[in-house]
Amino acid sequence: MASSLKALLVDDMAVERLVASAMLRKFHCEITMAKNGKEAVDMFLEGNEFDIVVCDKDMPIMTGPEAVEKIRAMGATDVKIVGVSADDNAMEAFMSAGADDFVPKPVRPEILEPMIQEVINKKNN
Amino acid sequence: MDYSNLRRQAASLKKGLFDQGHLDEQFRQVEDLQDEASPNFVEEVVVVFFKDSGRLISNLEQALEKYPRDFNRWDAYMQQLKGSCSSIGASRMKNECMSFRDNCGQRSVEGCMGSLQKLKREHAILRQKLESYFQLLRQVGPAGAATRPAM
Repeated sequence: MASSLKALLVDDMAVERLVASAMLRKFHCEITMAKNGKEAVDMFLEGNEFDIVVCDKDMPIMTGPEAVEKIRAMGATDVKIVGVSADDNAMEAFMSAGADDFVPKPVRPEILEPMIQEVINKKNN
Repeated sequence: MDYSNLRRQAASLKKGLFDQGHLDEQFRQVEDLQDEASPNFVEEVVVVFFKDSGRLISNLEQALEKYPRDFNRWDAYMQQLKGSCSSIGASRMKNECMSFRDNCGQRSVEGCMGSLQKLKREHAILRQKLESYFQLLRQVGPAGAATRPAM
């Protein structure tokens, strides 16, 4: 799969950023990282554009769902937002906030791949 | 140097980690992410994991003292650690995280303390075994890299 998707990866835990970014890199994504929801929101406020956001739920300063809500409120409705969490109750929080998809942790490449492909197809059309 | 013997030792050590339940399939997923561009990726992930997890355990221990019976706070710390354990396949550690969270749900201080001690033991065991494993892999080095032990 060839792509040049711009991915924003949001997670407060360094090890999880490391693993997830390696997965996204396998899909040839250009990756920007944020350590919490506020950093993610700031990225958008600074005018950065992303094709996909992969966002953890529980983070200091601003949670994933809070960030998702703010990103959508800014008018960033096209960007695909995927919530991730080891919390069984996270899906509802993310989807209510405006996320497109939810993936339970640990994130598996075979789960992420069709989502990436969907974004590529949409971008190419 | 007897690379084949070192490879066998490394393979045996890794097999033991899986057979004894310290690691699960997610660790293999992490291994699959290693390539020529990032030849030490797995070890790098493990180093960062133990740095993160050590910090979280320390923060939790402080919270247990500073915020008695604040089960929501304790649970939040453990939720973070559980996520990290899941990401690298640290299965037994993850199970102790879940046990701790169950004890938080039952508002059992004694249960939480017991789970934390077990978690710390699993953390130490996994750390020691993985350090030994990577030490063996480093000894095998580039000469043995073509036939790196596989599970």
